[in-house]
Amino acid sequence: MTGARGSKDLRHLSAQSASVSIGEQTLRPVLGARTWMRFLRSPVVFAYLLLTPAILTMVVVVLYPVLSAIDISFRRVDIYSPGASRGPWTLANYARLLDTTGFWQAVRVSVAYVVIAVVFSLLIGFGTALLLNQRFRGRTLARMLVVLPWSVPPVVAVNVWWWILDPSFGMLNWVLLQLGVIAKPINWIASPTPALAAVSLVTIWKGYPFFVVMLLAGLQAVPQDLYDAGAVDGAGRLAAFQHITLPALRGVLALATLLTVLWVFREFTIIWVLTGGGPVRATETLAIMTYREAFANFRMGFAASIGVVTLLISTVASVFFIRQAGKEFH
Amino acid sequence: MRRSLERILLYAAVATVVGVLFFPMYWMFNTSLAPQDQLYIYPPKLVHPNATFAAYAKIFRERPIERWLLNSLIVVIFSGLSSLIISVLAGYSLSRYRVGGSAALGYLLLSSRMLPTTLLVIPLFVFMSQLRLINTLWSVVIANVTFIMPFATWMLKGYFDSIPRELEEAAYIDGSSRLGALLRITLPLSAPGVAATALYSAILAWDEYLFARTFLTTNSVWTISVGLGSFRGEYITFWNEVMAASLVGTVPIIAIFLLLEKHLVSGLIAGAVK
Repeated sequence: MTGARGSKDLRHLSAQSASVSIGEQTLRPVLGARTWMRFLRSPVVFAYLLLTPAILTMVVVVLYPVLSAIDISFRRVDIYSPGASRGPWTLANYARLLDTTGFWQAVRVSVAYVVIAVVFSLLIGFGTALLLNQRFRGRTLARMLVVLPWSVPPVVAVNVWWWILDPSFGMLNWVLLQLGVIAKPINWIASPTPALAAVSLVTIWKGYPFFVVMLLAGLQAVPQDLYDAGAVDGAGRLAAFQHITLPALRGVLALATLLTVLWVFREFTIIWVLTGGGPVRATETLAIMTYREAFANFRMGFAASIGVVTLLISTVASVFFIRQAGKEFH
Repeated sequence: MRRSLERILLYAAVATVVGVLFFPMYWMFNTSLAPQDQLYIYPPKLVHPNATFAAYAKIFRERPIERWLLNSLIVVIFSGLSSLIISVLAGYSLSRYRVGGSAALGYLLLSSRMLPTTLLVIPLFVFMSQLRLINTLWSVVIANVTFIMPFATWMLKGYFDSIPRELEEAAYIDGSSRLGALLRITLPLSAPGVAATALYSAILAWDEYLFARTFLTTNSVWTISVGLGSFRGEYITFWNEVMAASLVGTVPIIAIFLLLEKHLVSGLIAGAVK
């Protein structure tokens, strides 16, 4: 790939410039303006100069803040300020974390939320992509309308669903009552299990278009020859789907699922604006608990320890997932 | 006969799926036009015979919506532009050169998406207070760079990878400097990619809620996201007003989305999933 080619080119170029600069040095031993220019023009220096703003930004606004957050997660700090003395390192926050029922509740809610939201986003996204991959009039318009929710601001998605889920005049209760699915209106946001369903519903609505876009792109990359060959061999539609379409989509499916899991696991806005983590913590995920402890209870050290555990979980999960996916493809 | 039955079933399926998935968008539009007395009735009306723009007039009168829109625009422009400049340089370097640490930076940029934003916001809040940036748009501009820059760099690296390097080599032979070749040859050729990245960055910055909600405390400096999230918790909910405001906050994004549609896949893969 380009990487391998790049390094070969680079070696070639830097070898060349090195020999030139040795020649220069024998002529004039003093570092003059021209040597300086030559130094700036060398490919390695140029590459680093281009990277410098990005490296500085990452160090100043991401790496250093995250390291400070990890640091305070090991100290007894409530409202943290950089100058103040922090006391010695301690595992107190983590000990307390493992001891609180709230933490285990948040782990359970996070897992339930991620599983429900991702599975339904995938199923709806997959089904929709297969349907919109058929040839029919108005296909472009249908694709656009279906993918549109992806671009809707999360806060707006919450407002719209909040209205649809309204217990007295909302559309969803009315439809469910008409269909006879429920006997009396559900108070979606004020009761624990429906609230988790409500939060998941909004997340699914924001999440399925990503699968549609990715899978449509994947479906278009499956060569038609495979289907023709399959038809010659007498494969029905189901067999073609199982033996041609699914294997071809594996990579796209794995990538889209991983990215959606990471997104849902860290999701804050949808839950915070719709339920605030309630009622009685029924929708309090690890992300929500971190925020509440830091900015409502002002226990920043404790909040940071929850955040660090969240970071560990998503890192371990992604590494595991990428390993598994890697094993399957090679 | 069987074929035409299949066609009918296909169209029915498409109509159902699109109808259900698009319904919330239609409902937002429909409710925003409802007169006040049509809100609290059952069954809900699918079309309002006396549609009115009264809710739009009222929200602009009673809430600083245009201020919120302007604040969001400022945040989008500044966080988008600064991310884009950094990302063009870094993305080009990652695409063309492999030096010690460039792989590490690439991984760092990718792995920043595993970072819980609710963890990052804690130290950032503290630093912003120290720098006295709380309650200014600068705090949000700086914080937005933490997630826009990593994705923009990867997206742009992908576009630069698709531009043949032979063109730059030809420029070197003609005496062009490295920076000159980037600015005069590669950048103009990747203009569609840069534009797509810019539009994506704009969507991310416009949608951002967590940093803005935490750093901006008075409602005159709120962005539109924070403003739209503030309806929740009010005593009486006038749904037509909530929906009108929400639609006003969505229209700019839909416009960008329509411009962007062609480039959606490459961007989504680069990591615009927020």
